[in-house]
Amino acid sequence: MRDKFIPHLSSFFVWRRLSNMTTAEFIQNVLNGISIGSVYAIFALGYTLVFSILGIINFAHGAVFTLGAYFTYTLAVGQFGINGLLSGLNLDLQVPFAMALLIGAVLAGLVGVLLERLAFKPLRTRGADSLLALVSSLGVALVIVNAIQYLVGAEIYTFPSGVYGNIKPAMMFEVAGHTVVIRTVQVIIFAVCMVILTILGYVISFTRLGKALQAVAENTTTASLLGISVDRIILVTFFMSGFLGGLAGTLVGTSFGIAGPYFGVTYGLKGLAVIVLGGLGSIPGAVLGGIVIGLAEAFVPPDYSAYKEAVAFAFLFIVLLVRPQGLLGRSHIQKV
Amino acid sequence: MTVLLEAERLCRNFGGLKAVNNVSFQVVEGEIFGLIGPNGAGKTTLFNLMTGLTPVSNGTLRYRGEYLTGLPPHRIAGKGIGRTFQNIRLFKGLSALENIKVSQHVNTNCGLFSGIFCTPASRAEEKMVDEKAWELLKLIGLADRATELAENFSYGDQRRLEIGRALALEPQVLLLDEPAAGMNSAEKHGLTEFIRGIREQFKLTVLLIEHHVPLVMNLCDRIAVLNFGELIAVGNPVDVQKNPAVIEAYLGAE
Amino acid sequence: MDDFLQNNGFLIVTMVQQALLAMSLYYPLMSGQLSLASPGFYALGGYVAAIIGTIEYFAPWRDALGWSIFPLEWLAAGIISGVLAVLVGIPALRLRGIYLALATIAFVEILRVICLNLEITGGAIGIFGVPQLFESRWSYIWTFGPLLILMLFFSYRIDRSRVGRAFKAIREDELAADAMGINPTRYKVLAFVIGAVLAGVVGAMSAPFLNTWNARQGTFDASIAYLAYVLIGGSRSMWGPLLGGTLLAALPEVLRPLKDSRLIINGVVLVFASIYMPQGIAGAVGRIRNFTVRKFGSARSEK
Ligand SMILES: Nc1ncnc2c1ncn2[C@@H]1O[C@H](COP(=O)(O)OP(=O)(O)OP(=O)(O)O)[C@@H](O)[C@H]1O
Ligand SMILES: [Mg+2]
Repeated sequence: MRDKFIPHLSSFFVWRRLSNMTTAEFIQNVLNGISIGSVYAIFALGYTLVFSILGIINFAHGAVFTLGAYFTYTLAVGQFGINGLLSGLNLDLQVPFAMALLIGAVLAGLVGVLLERLAFKPLRTRGADSLLALVSSLGVALVIVNAIQYLVGAEIYTFPSGVYGNIKPAMMFEVAGHTVVIRTVQVIIFAVCMVILTILGYVISFTRLGKALQAVAENTTTASLLGISVDRIILVTFFMSGFLGGLAGTLVGTSFGIAGPYFGVTYGLKGLAVIVLGGLGSIPGAVLGGIVIGLAEAFVPPDYSAYKEAVAFAFLFIVLLVRPQGLLGRSHIQKV
Repeated sequence: MTVLLEAERLCRNFGGLKAVNNVSFQVVEGEIFGLIGPNGAGKTTLFNLMTGLTPVSNGTLRYRGEYLTGLPPHRIAGKGIGRTFQNIRLFKGLSALENIKVSQHVNTNCGLFSGIFCTPASRAEEKMVDEKAWELLKLIGLADRATELAENFSYGDQRRLEIGRALALEPQVLLLDEPAAGMNSAEKHGLTEFIRGIREQFKLTVLLIEHHVPLVMNLCDRIAVLNFGELIAVGNPVDVQKNPAVIEAYLGAE
Repeated sequence: MDDFLQNNGFLIVTMVQQALLAMSLYYPLMSGQLSLASPGFYALGGYVAAIIGTIEYFAPWRDALGWSIFPLEWLAAGIISGVLAVLVGIPALRLRGIYLALATIAFVEILRVICLNLEITGGAIGIFGVPQLFESRWSYIWTFGPLLILMLFFSYRIDRSRVGRAFKAIREDELAADAMGINPTRYKVLAFVIGAVLAGVVGAMSAPFLNTWNARQGTFDASIAYLAYVLIGGSRSMWGPLLGGTLLAALPEVLRPLKDSRLIINGVVLVFASIYMPQGIAGAVGRIRNFTVRKFGSARSEK
């Protein structure tokens, strides 16, 4: 056991791999990393928005992610398998994919709103211990995940290969005699994420809504004194959070398939690593964290791909010990 | 006259703010040493430096010749320096009795297993802790409410409980941060007598931050005045009161 | 009665086992630390027992020791968990609140992925055929039951001892506790280690009980399940984890007639309990008792 374990460990030293990696491999990894990293980023933004406003982590975010993928699937494909209440159903709604993607995300956003009203608001109005919000949001996650399973079973659903229209599934080009493959899905994912990030960045920095949001994040009491309806801002935040989560769910679903009702759990956890790495509550931090973790995972050598799942958590653990405020977070001194 | 506490060129910065700036003074065993100054002068920060709650930026602190600088708060407490907090920090969810028992930690040494298995030594120790806690509760006049949670006490009672908790450490030095804040004049008068009393009874040296000038003048043997982090005067109450810098900075500002 | 025990033995023992795991979270919580690391130590303890129970290397030990290999497994699991807890706890317990919770989640996940990939832990398949201590499921109550009683006794005593007071002081106000001479790091690590050792031992007892062991034993879901036990049972007294663990572990079984929708109801219960029973079940019971005492007078005379 010992002589197997030690090379395992040493291989984690990235430099060793980099030194005998071809340029093509390097570029391939960067492309893969940025593509998945951009999904992590928009997903994690959903956590960060809620955290920056309420100072709590919404543990149902992973479930909303899952739900978004299922919503889009229902709208765009609508064929269900052999398990669950809806088994054998063929809705055949034939909603164009771009439309389905958007509606799916909006529906996920509405679920976010519902989540806030059912699981968070009652606790907040009572001024309850914030730990309880963990449990209640997790209760909601349980409900969502098991409702999905109840309705459509635990099987894997995949989007048909042509969801993004009639385009080539992949592009290839040569770098120094080696092939680099770019899957079309990856490009689309990246593009969608960039569009969303741009819009979000604009909304937060330049609109009244964004200013109000920042004010609430800074200090709820002051914001409400300034005449901002805090309650409304919280609802909007949960809508955006759910929207981003649902969208990320669909995007991942088109790339890797929807691997059952639980497929959001891993992403839910990785999202936590992303926001801590970037700095809890920091919006640019979530984006940076997403890209960094996406890249780090992409550079895990194929022989050790089984450990890929641990990369985000290793980051999470180490960042917490070394720099708990994250890359872009603010540290604050406790007043005595 | 032995020097008990000695601060030398003590500094603490918060960002650009010099909360405590080059402060040097000595506290003599057995005295009641007052610390006054306008709001934000750095008095509480000075207490935090002395008890290790805030790390020192520069300078040294010595207690009976030993350096306190760099020690964690519990080590400093273990040396016999107890304190109260300006914005009361009792263990709110614990009873008055438990609050006082907690502070006897440094003077007892029963571990996890002797506690669980109730060894004779731990039983004897627990008995002693209990007796002492009741004694202190009687001293601060809260014995009849021993099992009530600290958070249910009135402001004045909470301040007295905090003093009781600090006394349970069996300290030689007691730092009191605005103990009279929020008390009415009868209570303030009682407090003066009480502080004198415990100094006699426990052979204490007391450092006292207080805004209420008559109380300070009446109680303290010596007074130090802080302004914007700097020490502008030290001496006996009468002299300090006459010091022009003090009148200018502190009394003038009121 | 016998029939009942035979049919429900697994459930009853599981309830006790889950109550124990809830207690493993309760100790760190007693000192104010929200640690979700228990499933990691539980999984680790189970692997220790499963490995000692199955691999060739320990065969002579097993032959020589007979059934007394089992207590040895518990001991080994407890020691290994304790040592790992010290190593992880000293750096991690500088973190507070949600940051500590996240660090412990990361710890559980890292451990899970490692166990999923090592040869000695059986990879993704896990370890099968862990030797049994008893023939019937129900009989395992003779390992978990006494442990639970022991832990209740421990909690009761710790609560009233010097160490317990230090825990509670840190929970109430870490900084003030420090200023009163209590070394917070030391006691936080101690509380964390107690929880870890307990989880490890429960794991070591559970591997024979479940007969097989794999990486699914220590997951994030479990972390949150245990947290729910404690919070819903009540985090302020040792009866909280006991009530929360047993009742919530039984819930899916009780809801079995609802078939597939039972896990949905389970989630609904979590939401409602956290909203309507902020002090947990133990707290709610306490309030009702206080109410009746006020209304109808106390049965015992007040001191
Ligand atoms: N942890 C901290 N971080 C940043 N600034 C601080 C901190 N603690 C104190 N300060 C600042 O240092 C200065 C001195 O504060 P301090 O509390 O020591 O004053 P004080 O003399 O006790 O005043 P008061 O009479 O109001 O209690 C103030 O300007 C305060 O804002
Ligand atoms: Mg002050």
